[in-house]
Amino acid sequence: MNILRKKLLPYLLLTPMILVMGVLVFYPITATFSYSLKRWKLTSPGDIHFIGLQNYSSILESDSFWYSFQNTLFILTAVVLLTSVVGFLTSIFLHIEVKWSGILLAIAMLPWALPPYVNGILWKFVFSSGYGFLNKVVIGLGLAGQPVEWLNSRRALLLIVSLVVSWRSIPFTALVCLAGRQSIPGGLYEAARIDGGNRYTIFRRITLPLMLPFVAIGITSASVTAINVFDEIIALSGYNDLGANLLVESYLTTFSFLDFGKGSALTYLVILFGTVLGGFYLRSMNKEVDY
Amino acid sequence: MLKIQHERILTKVRKKVGYLTALLIFLLLTLGPFLWTFILSVTPEYAMLEKTPGLLPETVTFDNYRELLTADTPRGGLLITGIGNAIKAVCAALTLGIPVSMLTAYTLSRMEFCGRRLIRNLLLITMVIPVMATIIPLYRLFVARQWLNDVFWLSMVYVSSYLPLTTWLMSNYFATFPKELEEAARIDGCGLLSSFLRIILPASYPIILSAALIMFLNTWSQFQIPLILASSLETKPVAIVVSEFMTKDSIQYGLTAAAGIIAVFPPALAALVFRRFLISGMMNGSVKG
Repeated sequence: MNILRKKLLPYLLLTPMILVMGVLVFYPITATFSYSLKRWKLTSPGDIHFIGLQNYSSILESDSFWYSFQNTLFILTAVVLLTSVVGFLTSIFLHIEVKWSGILLAIAMLPWALPPYVNGILWKFVFSSGYGFLNKVVIGLGLAGQPVEWLNSRRALLLIVSLVVSWRSIPFTALVCLAGRQSIPGGLYEAARIDGGNRYTIFRRITLPLMLPFVAIGITSASVTAINVFDEIIALSGYNDLGANLLVESYLTTFSFLDFGKGSALTYLVILFGTVLGGFYLRSMNKEVDY
Repeated sequence: MLKIQHERILTKVRKKVGYLTALLIFLLLTLGPFLWTFILSVTPEYAMLEKTPGLLPETVTFDNYRELLTADTPRGGLLITGIGNAIKAVCAALTLGIPVSMLTAYTLSRMEFCGRRLIRNLLLITMVIPVMATIIPLYRLFVARQWLNDVFWLSMVYVSSYLPLTTWLMSNYFATFPKELEEAARIDGCGLLSSFLRIILPASYPIILSAALIMFLNTWSQFQIPLILASSLETKPVAIVVSEFMTKDSIQYGLTAAAGIIAVFPPALAALVFRRFLISGMMNGSVKG
């Protein structure tokens, strides 16, 4: 009896989590998969039937999918690069001890506290053509006579979206890196200095390698954020195709064109894409560090 | 001798200049957008679209804040209800989310059982699932069960979206305590519950507070989920209300800016208060030591 209880106890303790995740995550994604195999348009509600992988093949043949896939890839690359490099540099900056260190840390965290949609609005105020900060500066300095439409070309819009998303995701990475920097024992640096290491070798041999696992967490969390960008795109350019990534495309397919089958298939392609990255995620999360 | 001293002073000055430059760039890039939004929020509407080269408005008005913080005005009423709804959701998410992640993290990090790795990985991998992938079945489920516009179930959906992250942070933290500690307590006659309450819990407050902060910020920020599952006035959170100011037929930029500043205030305050615990929580929470 006692042994049985001991064996069952872990599962019993996990029940709340299993219930929450089962009902609100695993059940829905299974259902979404079954929707993705169906012809299911709200425009013809009487005609819902199984069509196998047809939704997937018609998506893969459409130009709009590849267009938004490219957008997703662009945002992913830019956000990961910006977030990891700037996040790392910020953590080095925040590690320098000064009188106002606490205040600087608090300021650094502010963008993280921002709801993503409000983040998009904040930056729209910077890049908007009429009342935007950037145009006031550009015109004020005489660099342009007319207001520049920053958000009207695909490349500029994607770049701006990436900047804006990175701005919000840098604090978390910086924080994780700072925690990593602070957990390096000071003794290591002393020993290196006694051994005659200069600042560059110390950075390359101690700081960088010991912080890498933390940077990896930053990179992986930034990539999850980057694939799931939605709010900022909507806030900056509205529900249209120009800056659409896979998620916006899936939202439009589902709720504007009311094609639930195809919309579900699209989200599955996003999951597939994410899971490939997720493998890397799990690996870096299970890593151990030896000091 | 003099030369060496001279060089030392020079490197000192160089260091100082470098630091101050970094400080300036940091402050400009971090606070700039907030400042600009604040300036817009106190600029009178008629001055907004004028093609003046100046960045600062000639007259300053706090009418936008006055309107938004008065519950009698239509927009003020909307915003205040939205803030109230977000606070309700935060409370529900914290009361449900913290105990569930603690329980899960404790079990996954300190107990041996079949399928532990599998359950842990299954939980972690859900981090890559976008909201859009679950929202249609969830909507149907919510309609069938009449959970739409119900703060409790809405918060449960939020909890399910960040449970993996908080559980992972907590379980790494719990894993750093030596097993002998609990064994000794067990020998002294402590049950599982009391050894958890007396040994693990008191030593874990930094990570619990960090997780609470992460949950607070994420719940406050929700947009996509409530857009579909909570569209009524009684549950609509503040981010949705602000987005409606932006898209309503007559856009008032100053008002939207003011609403944005107000919406950032509570989470920014929470971040300020809890930041002390964040670093120490993350130090043990993010990488297995």
